[in-house]
Amino acid sequence: MLEVKIKRSLPGFKLDIDFSVDQEILAILGPSGSGKTMTLHCIAGLTQPDEGYIKLNEKVLYDSATKIHLSPQMRKVGFVFQNYALFPHLTVQENIAYGIAQRAKSEIEDRVAQLLEKMNVRELGQRYPRQLSGGQQQRVALARALAPEPEILLLDEPFSALDTQVKERLELELLSLQNFYKGNILLVTHNLAEGYKMASKIAVYDSGRIIQCDSKQKVISSPANHTVAKLTGVRNLFRGIIREIQGKDVQVFIPEMEQTVRVELKGTFHLLPNQNVTVGIRPEYVHLSENPVENTFKCIVYRMVDGISSADCFFYAQGKAGSRHWIEAILAKSDADRICQGQECYLHLHPEHWTLLAD
Amino acid sequence: MPETYLSPLWISLRTVLATTVITFFLGIAAARWMARYRGKCKTLIDGIFILPLVLPPTVVGFGLLIFFGRHGPMGQFLALFDTTVVFSWPATVIAAVVMSFPLMYMTSRGAFEQVEPNIEDAARTLGANEWKVFWSVTFPLAWPGVAAATVLSLARSLGEFGATLMLAGNIPGKTATIPVAIYFAIQAGDYNKALVLVAIVLIISFSAIAAMAYWKGRQFLSKSIVNKPQNFE
Repeated sequence: MLEVKIKRSLPGFKLDIDFSVDQEILAILGPSGSGKTMTLHCIAGLTQPDEGYIKLNEKVLYDSATKIHLSPQMRKVGFVFQNYALFPHLTVQENIAYGIAQRAKSEIEDRVAQLLEKMNVRELGQRYPRQLSGGQQQRVALARALAPEPEILLLDEPFSALDTQVKERLELELLSLQNFYKGNILLVTHNLAEGYKMASKIAVYDSGRIIQCDSKQKVISSPANHTVAKLTGVRNLFRGIIREIQGKDVQVFIPEMEQTVRVELKGTFHLLPNQNVTVGIRPEYVHLSENPVENTFKCIVYRMVDGISSADCFFYAQGKAGSRHWIEAILAKSDADRICQGQECYLHLHPEHWTLLAD
Repeated sequence: MPETYLSPLWISLRTVLATTVITFFLGIAAARWMARYRGKCKTLIDGIFILPLVLPPTVVGFGLLIFFGRHGPMGQFLALFDTTVVFSWPATVIAAVVMSFPLMYMTSRGAFEQVEPNIEDAARTLGANEWKVFWSVTFPLAWPGVAAATVLSLARSLGEFGATLMLAGNIPGKTATIPVAIYFAIQAGDYNKALVLVAIVLIISFSAIAAMAYWKGRQFLSKSIVNKPQNFE
């Protein structure tokens, strides 16, 4: 169990966060400069917050009220740095053994061998970090952090410097690590897909604050606000006014489109007719439609960017006085092949895929 | 070799050895402290540390003479213990330490600043105390720079003349180091003595350079063997 409630002010930046995790993987998601890495540094004791407290498994790591600030050496925190920060003058074995040097020699040897085996770098024990590939360095950094059996593992953008193939394999390995390492894992990332894959819970950061901290499913299905929706990939967002509420069905009028859409609610909202709301839909839930039915928009194809398995398509609806209102879609190849630039078509936005945000 | 040549050689060797040891630790301590120091007085302290490098050695020597002299603060303090350093062998060491300190400090500070803070932080999260972080991580990683700094300050203390002459004077067999002895030999018109002393300095300097080159070459060799690309994943 990790509880964090801290504040820290720097010129031009303020960190003010509050979250807790219990034996799970938490992804800290947010744009760069939003305080993600600083959070990890505060937990590890490398930076001292201005006020608040940090508690790890009933042990107080930091508390401004009682003036407790444990040094990083006392905290039993495993830290994997973004650039791995391996000791370049030590071999892989010596790197891994660094944190357990005070143990008996045979115990060190056993532990190092076990970790080399676990991280699939058995044959690299005698090498120096500069002789390793990025993925291998990452594995060694993980093994080194795990060696002293930390109570929490902090990973700072662990996959950002790796190529896709290595990254995918390491993600799998990290997931299987959970059978071996029982403790909290905090994973800093700016990649939503990565956070969703690895974590059970996501904390969304924006300029020093946590704007939502929920299970990953909840963060995706019901983002707390506009910023979370944008950060988590809800590219199409419209301001709207509630027209009618019937149980789970809400009719929302979107002025810019001059059209009303039906939205199926997920979760409980306290909504009133004529209330201002924001509705959004992810580009992967926008589909082509043959004819105008419920929840369809008449649009013009502006541009298509061909991907490997799908195509990113940009549409616009002609508004009043020549204004354009954009809709982004990720279409299957077969669908994208049916349209071409400048063509007029209908887009269907299914009621159950909408996200509704009370303003 | 007659006493007249050996004596300056021994004095110089003893002075250089003592100076290098003292400057090494003083310089490293100051450099390590300033490399991570973020206080208001950073520029001021930095300036004071480097001052002897930019001042004429005679000016530094004069300052030291005032400071350690009979009426100076340090001189009066030492008088309490019935000692004086002016015009004694320790004065050659003090002068050489002050003059070589800026080189040791500046060069090794640069080396410490090159060590990535993340690597030191990694050691801290792995339970290493500050002492262990320094000796097991920071120092080995900064070693090439620190070694260069040591060689530079060694060379500086071997060649030290101005400040030494002011503070230690020219007492044959006591404070006359090789550079001082060369100067006074020429003053006295004894060119033969000066030439022999010059030859001794040349031999010492060239052997030092040769040793450095040999050592560097070996290091380079071992590195290039280790660095042979071996990559498989």
